[in-house]
Amino acid sequence: MLIPEFLQTLVQGFLLGSTYGLMALGMAIIYAVSGVLNFAHGDFLSLAMYLCLAAFSYLAFDPYLASVIVIPCMAALGMGFYQWLVRPMVGRQMLMIVQLTLGVAFMVQSGLLMAFGGQPKRVPSVIEAKLLIVGDVVVRGPQLVALGVSVVLAICLYLSLNKTSFGREVRAVQQVPRAAALMGINVPRTRLITFALGFAVLAVAGILLVPGLPIHPSQGLRYTVITLMVVVLGGLTNFVGVLLGGLLIGLAEAFGTVYVSGVSGFVLPYLIFILILLFRPKGLLGGAA
Amino acid sequence: MLEVSGLTAGFGTLDILHDVSLTVASGEFVGLLGANNAGKSTLVNCLSGLVPARRGTIRLDGEDISGMPPHRIVERGIVQVPEGRLVFPQMSVLDNLKVGSSTRRSQLGRTSKLEEVFALFPRLHERMEQPAGTLSGGEQQMLAIGRGLLSNPRLLMLDEPSLGLSPLFVQTIFRAIKALNTSGLTILLVEQNLNLTLSCASRSLVLERGKIVIEGTADELRQDPQTRRAYLGL
Repeated sequence: MLIPEFLQTLVQGFLLGSTYGLMALGMAIIYAVSGVLNFAHGDFLSLAMYLCLAAFSYLAFDPYLASVIVIPCMAALGMGFYQWLVRPMVGRQMLMIVQLTLGVAFMVQSGLLMAFGGQPKRVPSVIEAKLLIVGDVVVRGPQLVALGVSVVLAICLYLSLNKTSFGREVRAVQQVPRAAALMGINVPRTRLITFALGFAVLAVAGILLVPGLPIHPSQGLRYTVITLMVVVLGGLTNFVGVLLGGLLIGLAEAFGTVYVSGVSGFVLPYLIFILILLFRPKGLLGGAA
Repeated sequence: MLEVSGLTAGFGTLDILHDVSLTVASGEFVGLLGANNAGKSTLVNCLSGLVPARRGTIRLDGEDISGMPPHRIVERGIVQVPEGRLVFPQMSVLDNLKVGSSTRRSQLGRTSKLEEVFALFPRLHERMEQPAGTLSGGEQQMLAIGRGLLSNPRLLMLDEPSLGLSPLFVQTIFRAIKALNTSGLTILLVEQNLNLTLSCASRSLVLERGKIVIEGTADELRQDPQTRRAYLGL
C-alpha cells in the first residue's frame, strides 16, 4: 500500500464525511422534534444546489455568495413544508408520513427536470481551482471550505441545543412533546422553527457540495439514502453520533472507490452500514444524547 | 376562579365526559375522585387544552379558555402535573425545572421559584445535575411537581401523584401538596386513593362514567353510600 495514496484517501474521506454529517444533521434535527423521517431530504438538497445554479445563471453569483438567497429560501420552504404538509399528518401513521415525503421527493425531482432539463449541470466557483498541497496530499479549495464550515456549524448547533433556552425547548419537545405542551411550550411553533433550521442546515450542505460538482435532477434519492444511513448509524437523535456516522460513511466511500476495484467499491459504505447495524442496532453511540 | 359548565368531550365518535360542571374557588383544595376510566384524566386534559371540548365552557376568572392551545392556558396560570410524571428523561433535573418556566409570565420569577422548590424538595437540589431518567419514581414525582411550580401556577392540577409510589414517598408528596395549598395555591387533585384525598381536600367530587355523581366535604362523602358504589365503578 502506498502511503501518499492512503493519506490522500483518508483526507478525501474525511472531507466528504464532514459534509455528509452536516446533511444528516439537518434530517436528524427534524426527526428529533417531529418524528418525521423526511424521504425528500436528498431532493431538497438537490433543490438547494439548483437554486445555486439559478443564482449563478441569472445573477452570476458565486455559490458562496448565493447563500444569502439560498439559505433564507430553503428555510422558508422548510416552514411551508411543515405548516401545510407535515403538520396535518403529525400523530398519524408513520407510513402515511413516509408516503407524503416520498411523494414530495418525486415532485421536486420532476420540477427540477422541467425547469432545468435532464442534462448534468455544473456551478463553478472562484475557489474551485485553488488547491492546498501539504506533502503529497492535495485538497481542493471547496472541500477545505466545506470542512471548516461543517465543523463550525456543528459546534454552533451543539451549543445552541445544549446551552440555550431555545435548545432546551427543542429537547423537551423531542423527549416528551405532551409534557412540553403542559409546561407552556408552543409545540407547533417549536417544530416550525426546527424545520426552518433543518432546511437551512441542508441548504448550507448543498452550497458546500455544489462548487464544481456535476448536478442532475435525479441525484436526490442517492443523497437521501446516504443521509438515512448516516442518521441511522448515529442513532437517529444523537447529534454527535450523526456527525461521526457522516465521517464513517465518507471514509468508507473514499476507501471503497480507491481500494476496491470496480462497482463493488461503491458497495463498501452499504456493507459497513449493515455490519454496524447488526452489531450495534441502536447506532454508533447507542441511544439519544 | 375556575368555572366549568356543561362540558362534553371525548375522542373520535366516543364521548368520555358528559355535561360536567364544577367550580374551584381561589385558595381551595378540591379532590376529584373516581374509578379507572371514569374520565378524570380526560377532564384534566380538557382543562389543559390537550383534549378539545365538544360542548360547554371553561372559564378562568370569567374568560372563556376552552379551545385555547395548551401553552396559552399555562400562560394564564392553569398548570397540570401529568399522570405518569412525564419528566424529560435525558435532561438534568435543573434543565427539567427550567423547562417549567417557559412562558414569559413564569420567567421573571425563575430564581426565587427554584429556591422555593429546592426548599420543598431538598432531594432535587442534591440531584440537580443528574439526568431525570435516573431518578426513582418518587423523585420523578417531586420533579414533576417542582417543574409545574416553576410555571408559576395559580391553579395546580395533579393527576394521580401517588401512582406507583412507595407509602413513604406518598406521604412526602402529599405533605408537600398540603403545604402548597396552605401557602395559598389553589389545588385540583385527581386521585384514585379515596382516603388519602378525603384527608386533605376541603371538598371532593366523584366522577362516574364521565358524570359528576357526588359532591361534598370529606364527611359527607364518607357517609354517602353512593360513594363506595361509584368509586368501585359498580
